[in-house]
Amino acid sequence: MTPEQYQKRFIEKHLQFIELDTAGSVLQNTGRILPIQKGQNISEAHPFFESLEPVFTALDAPQSLHCVNLDLEGREVIVDIQVHPADKGFMLLVQDLTSHYTGYQAVAQERNESIIQEELIVLKNAELEERERFKNLFIQNFSHELRNPLMSSMAITRILSESPLNTEQQHLIEALRETNTHLKLMLEDTLSLSMIASGKLELKPVLFDLKKMLDVLSITYKTKAVSKGLDFELSSHERVPQWVEADRKRLFQVLTNLLDNAVKFTEQGKITLEVGFNQQYANKVNLHFSVTDTGKGIPEAKKNTVFETYSQLTSPEKEQGTGLGLALVKGLLTLMDSEIQLQSTVGKGSVFSFDLEVKVPVESGWKATLEKDADSIRQKTTVRGRKYRVLLVEDDERVLTVLFKMLMETGQFYLDVLSDGAQVLEQVIENPYDLILMDINLPNTRGDQLTRIIREFPFKNVERLPIIGITAFAYEDHLKAYKASGMNAVIPKPFEKEELLDTIFSCLKS
Amino acid sequence: MQKSKKVVILGHFGVGKTSLIRRFVSNQFSDQYKVTIGVHISKKVVDLSDEDSVSLILWDLEGTDRLEQIREAYLLGTHGVIFVFDINRPSTFQNLKRDLETVKSKVQDRPTVVIGNKKDLVPEEEISSLLEEHDIPYDYLTSAKTGETVEEAFLHLASILHHDS
Repeated sequence: MTPEQYQKRFIEKHLQFIELDTAGSVLQNTGRILPIQKGQNISEAHPFFESLEPVFTALDAPQSLHCVNLDLEGREVIVDIQVHPADKGFMLLVQDLTSHYTGYQAVAQERNESIIQEELIVLKNAELEERERFKNLFIQNFSHELRNPLMSSMAITRILSESPLNTEQQHLIEALRETNTHLKLMLEDTLSLSMIASGKLELKPVLFDLKKMLDVLSITYKTKAVSKGLDFELSSHERVPQWVEADRKRLFQVLTNLLDNAVKFTEQGKITLEVGFNQQYANKVNLHFSVTDTGKGIPEAKKNTVFETYSQLTSPEKEQGTGLGLALVKGLLTLMDSEIQLQSTVGKGSVFSFDLEVKVPVESGWKATLEKDADSIRQKTTVRGRKYRVLLVEDDERVLTVLFKMLMETGQFYLDVLSDGAQVLEQVIENPYDLILMDINLPNTRGDQLTRIIREFPFKNVERLPIIGITAFAYEDHLKAYKASGMNAVIPKPFEKEELLDTIFSCLKS
Repeated sequence: MQKSKKVVILGHFGVGKTSLIRRFVSNQFSDQYKVTIGVHISKKVVDLSDEDSVSLILWDLEGTDRLEQIREAYLLGTHGVIFVFDINRPSTFQNLKRDLETVKSKVQDRPTVVIGNKKDLVPEEEISSLLEEHDIPYDYLTSAKTGETVEEAFLHLASILHHDS
């Protein structure tokens, strides 16, 4: 074929010239893009041309219409159309650019889809954030609203418990008290979670003795495990530093939640708390914490949902608890730039683990300073001022006020006050007390349980620390049981100031 | 007597202009989004009474959020406009009043029907508060997917155009 023949073929395929009279009748036609014959009206080729009438009537210069999609009896073409004024009417130039525009369509498709997708994601996120914000606000308000009736319920329970009761009534009151405590814990967990979610919870790193914390956990959970017929083991790598800087309270909260969870879901076997050493750069150490149980395990499908708030609610096998513990662990670890990991085999058990970067002090003098501080406190309280350092633990504010007043009036005590059993062990380990005065029915951990744990502490001075219990259950068998837990004395309520002070001083002298 | 009326469908991309036309012309719907480039032309003859009908030549223009950039040639001889926005995407209606002004100036005040589409995707009770909040002057809320109110919207314009002439 000659170049001229190629050109002719190309033009026939891609270009069409149609000469029209002023009424739109075809005078001449050179191509086959639009199916139209000489003598037909152009509007018969496609309805598009029906709407071109205004273009024809007002035409004084060539007019172009680009990228016109026409469905021609099942055949789709994309054409550019030019209308020129001509001697007898108009000249239409139709150019088939289907392949060119199809390529362009693919690009536009991709661009538009991605823009729309992005827009919808932003909207979805905004909606989720708004829901989350509302949920947290609701939970915070609701929790606060629940506090007052709960306080009333606790106060009334206490008043009832102080009245003369038979054994059955005592059991009922005890059950009521446990329910109240459980409710209070749930509220606190819920609040912590919503505070994390709304970004109101801030970490407060302090320098603390990690090994002591692990010992406290070990002693506490050994007791809990043994009471359920389980073994407990603490294993710590030799390079795990004794002193670290981190948010002690929150790390403690994470570990107790994981350990509580392990104890709760394990019926036989062993719970292991392990602290491994990953690496150290300069004054930062990366540690690996893991809690292993031999419980029933978590199926693959549920592994992601166990960390969601209220995940237990959707489970057919509801266990006692709020379902908030693991959500709290996840939230707290996220705040600490860490992430909870879960490995689990159904029927064999689970391993919850996380890596945590903590600071270790590098200055050589820090430990001496800490110890010197502790010494000076000890000297102040015991020798120089002849004052005693007493830890007072009582959750009833009215009783606490009375006790505080009685002791302060003597001028012989430095007092630290706690209202929650769960905080006692840490406080005792961190501070050189001369005596503990403690209510028996404390929230979280009872006074007699705490005494039993403290008596097993491996630290000098602490195991012999005088502990005096205060109780509303003044029956002889109760008092005996409390003393058997290791308390030096138990004072039944109500009591007089003299009785209290006599008991305290007799314990301090011995 | 049958008259031909050119109707252009305008609005941002992805609001469902092509789907509305497809529903109106052939009573079909597809969930697959196919971007329109340039202009697609289709036709539907609407019977307004036993004697009267109007032939709508529907110009489905490619969507754009820059209405001022629409090729003037596409708008030549326009009799009426359908402006479509997507109820789910505020970006398609947050400047609606300004967009309608732009359209008005380009088509010499031709009758315009404003449609909020995809109403099937938004709960009924949320729609009115959403549109009130943005102060949106719409004429019809439609769903090309279910067909709800689509015909009414087109017929409304058809009848205006018929009486106009």
